[in-house]
Amino acid sequence: MFRKRRIIPVVVAAALALAGGDVLAADPVKVGALYPLSGQVAKSGEDTLNGIRLAIEIINKDYPDLKMPFAAGEGLPGLNGALIELVAADHQGSPEIGMAEAERLIVQEKVAALIGAFHSSVAATSSQVAERMGTPYISGESEASTLTERGYRWFFRTTPSSRTQARDFFVFLRDLNKNRDAPIKTIAVVHENTLWGQEFAKSVAGYFKEFSEFQPSIVVGYQQGTSDVTSEVQRLIAAKPDVVFHASYDAEAILFARTYKQFNFNPQGVLAIGAAFGSNAFRDALGPDANYFLVREHWSRDLADRNPLVGQVAKMYRERFGKDMDGTPARAFTAMMVLADAINRAGSTEPEKIRAALAATRMPPEATIMPWEGVQFDETGQNTLTRGIFVQTLDGVPKMVWPAELAVAKLVWPRPVWR
Amino acid sequence: MSDQLIAQLVVSGLGMGFIFALIAIGLTLIYGVMEVVNFAHGEFLMIGMYASYLAYVTWGADPVVSLPFIALLMFVFGVAVYYLLIRRVLTGSMHAQIFATFGLMVFLQAAAQFFMGADYFAIQNSWLSGVITIGDVVLPMPQIAAVVGASLATLLLYALVFRTSLGRQLRAAAQDAQAASTLGINPSTMYALAWGFGSACVGVAASLLSNFYYVFPRVGAVFVLLAYVAVALGGFGSIHGALVAGLLIGLLQVAMGFFVSSELKFVPVYMLYLAVVLLRPRGLFGRM
Amino acid sequence: MTGTSRAYPVVALSGLLLLLGVLLALPLYIADRPFELRMAILIFLFAVMGQGWNVLGGFAGQVSIGHGLYFGLGAYTAVLLAVKFGVNPWLGMLAGTALASLCGVLVGIPCFRLRGHYFVIATLVVAESVFQVFTVWEWVGSAVGIELPVKSEGWINFQFHRDKTPYYYIALTMLVVVTAGLWWLRRSRIGFLLRAIRDDEEAVRSLGFSPHLYKSLAMAISAGILGAAGVFHAQYVLFVDPFSVLGLHISVMVALFAILGGTGTLAGPILGAAILVPLSEYSRVHFSGSGRNVDLLIYGFLIMVIAVYRPDGLMGLLRSRPVLTMLDRLGLRSVLLQSPHIKNIRKGNSHAA
Repeated sequence: MFRKRRIIPVVVAAALALAGGDVLAADPVKVGALYPLSGQVAKSGEDTLNGIRLAIEIINKDYPDLKMPFAAGEGLPGLNGALIELVAADHQGSPEIGMAEAERLIVQEKVAALIGAFHSSVAATSSQVAERMGTPYISGESEASTLTERGYRWFFRTTPSSRTQARDFFVFLRDLNKNRDAPIKTIAVVHENTLWGQEFAKSVAGYFKEFSEFQPSIVVGYQQGTSDVTSEVQRLIAAKPDVVFHASYDAEAILFARTYKQFNFNPQGVLAIGAAFGSNAFRDALGPDANYFLVREHWSRDLADRNPLVGQVAKMYRERFGKDMDGTPARAFTAMMVLADAINRAGSTEPEKIRAALAATRMPPEATIMPWEGVQFDETGQNTLTRGIFVQTLDGVPKMVWPAELAVAKLVWPRPVWR
Repeated sequence: MSDQLIAQLVVSGLGMGFIFALIAIGLTLIYGVMEVVNFAHGEFLMIGMYASYLAYVTWGADPVVSLPFIALLMFVFGVAVYYLLIRRVLTGSMHAQIFATFGLMVFLQAAAQFFMGADYFAIQNSWLSGVITIGDVVLPMPQIAAVVGASLATLLLYALVFRTSLGRQLRAAAQDAQAASTLGINPSTMYALAWGFGSACVGVAASLLSNFYYVFPRVGAVFVLLAYVAVALGGFGSIHGALVAGLLIGLLQVAMGFFVSSELKFVPVYMLYLAVVLLRPRGLFGRM
Repeated sequence: MTGTSRAYPVVALSGLLLLLGVLLALPLYIADRPFELRMAILIFLFAVMGQGWNVLGGFAGQVSIGHGLYFGLGAYTAVLLAVKFGVNPWLGMLAGTALASLCGVLVGIPCFRLRGHYFVIATLVVAESVFQVFTVWEWVGSAVGIELPVKSEGWINFQFHRDKTPYYYIALTMLVVVTAGLWWLRRSRIGFLLRAIRDDEEAVRSLGFSPHLYKSLAMAISAGILGAAGVFHAQYVLFVDPFSVLGLHISVMVALFAILGGTGTLAGPILGAAILVPLSEYSRVHFSGSGRNVDLLIYGFLIMVIAVYRPDGLMGLLRSRPVLTMLDRLGLRSVLLQSPHIKNIRKGNSHAA
């Protein structure tokens, strides 16, 4: 008796699966993820990968309370509930290893698509492999502008490039100037010396034509891993800019902030790209001195006020990995969701179909956890609907202060003098 | 170009220079006694800085208070490294010694990341965190402490090497280990002491640095490359050479960073080294 | 000393041929396994680089930790020629090798006057300076680096996309050619003189030879080999940026491989690469993901152990008595370990005089 009862549902499921077409429900869709999982940036790589892990968990398991695509029900409905299987690979930040691992994932692991790669240099070589082999590649956090300027067919990027991010700084200042009698005029740029910082400085320089009310002040590049920044700060003091744009990693962000205070350098505002000037390490090291720095962020938990989905996902991330979500995992999470959406619409793991589906992506803002207007790719594969937010640390807590319609706290401008 | 700015740059350059010098002196002391270059020297610095940080968060001990203890701790650590590792490769070639200390460097860095993670830790509000303003010149306290502390440490070391009988024994072992042993000096003990004092120097530098610099597993690389250059520039084995070269490098990098290019501020330092050894193949004060 | 081994040159030769045969056939088994294929390519590449380093560091005893410079210069030369002037990569390889050689000789002019650690630090600062200049130099792509345009695959373009076995054979050929060349070099008068310079530079000078000339020659060969390896790397990865081809870690790694294997020997660098590359690759695969650097912990520890117990490198193992006896039986001792003696130069000198 008992046996019979059990058999029936199994038979029905199998029949349904067979009727569904070329993919069996049992066949998982393999997605290869390329991240730095050992060496210096292992931690960031691991956090980012966790964003992807969470996205896959939401897709593969049943979360009826979560109002986002694929949360309710298990697997991808377009492929008869096929699950997504993550195959993670470690590239250690080396373009050469990234290339080799991309090849291995495509040839040996037979993944349907790739996602990666944190470092832009690794994204460059690994997406080249994907391009040659005709495998869809999506990046949620590699920002070098050049990546989408190569005319690749198979490369898609959901995150804004560093050039787009640089534009947000000008839009922000223009917005600020609307309500000010004495407008902000001169802009200095401080940047570290690797690809990321150099790209940012170059992008900023390119926008002074479009935003002609601003004038370039000094540009200070510095060697990453420097022991002191006195000469850099002295040059800034001599140039007296109204605002400073900053592209620095955690270490030098602490060093610069301390040196600014020592020499009482007081521009109206310090605006940073990347999370360094609002990170936990930064706030722990500087205490109250960490206040009033502005960070152009991709994501903030404050978004939960408008979009309850953000709060739910952030809570899941915290429970699952014991750490707070930040902008990079949030972006990787979104990239994975976009990829899943495309595979689902393609209804197949055939590369050409996934590619076509990716190119046709139209994701509305409420389906993502980002402050974006949605996801839609242009012909270069770049998402055109991104938007930045500015976060300011106030009383030791980073608060979203711009754009006005999303703000949860009032922007403090100009920054008060050092105490 | 105001006088105030020049004064500012000189003060900052000296502050950094004394730190480089103190690190370099530790290195050159070891070399001077036994002709071994410690490629893990930067990691000794890192350990000292972690110790200083941990003392601060665990017992609330300010870096000024913990400084002598850190120096002592590093002394013990240096002696231990000598007995456990260096003594075993002394008979080998220069290759074996490079190899051993290089392995130690990789090992200590990995160990730091294993136990402490890759995060940046910094001491907040130490006693020496403020600034003194003289006229328009801003003197950051940590830098002043670096200047004072490093010069004191150098003086002490000088006195030790050139004014005490222990110093005489050290110098004897350095000049001729064979002859020294016939005089009843145990060269191995002297070598161990050299490692101890050299590491203690780095411990002092680490304590002074932790007032204003953060610690992370690879912090050694930030300082030690310039310290190596300082040692070579001053002449391997020469304590006052390392001191002068360290100060020179500190001043040069600040000046170049301000007047020429902050992106390339270390290149002139490297070129200075090449220029000096072109004229004096044994550095400024090296034994000819 | 090598009397026994002379009786068995056939055994020695056939042993080497057998090894070569195995290596030639290996792709048949690993062609569809990119991981293993790549590891083999990397072993050959690093062995070539180690051999190159060894000419200067081992034969002539001038320890450099700036050899990444020549690797990077080779890579950049080929890529820049291809991207800016459309030059064929094989010509790029010639140019890269030549330029690396030339730069080596130029660097040698100030540096060869220096002894011991002064020389070591000098090579370090030169390489580090060039690295820093390249990170800000717009024309060479600054820190962003340069991607080589993808061309149709084939031998002419030196690009193979689907099947990587041609890279395997190119790397193997480079290793065989370089090793054979160095085998000859070691036995030539130049080789004897280089060893003599390592042992006693003043003696060589007093015999009427210019140490600087011979060191420059060693540097030219050494840097040229590194340059060629750099071009291969650029064609293999199709991307150069300052960190991945000029970084200090490359200089350190090259020296490490040669020293670990055993300096001054021909088999040393090959042995070093054959052990260290799989060690780091497998530890990456097995221990990564924790973010705790366990692989480096083991790696560093092993290096210390080798330094303590085998101060002359793993080739030192071959000098232990049981192994020597075995090698004598196989006739491999002269091939692997033979070290030309200083008296041979005296002979050479009287010949010349």
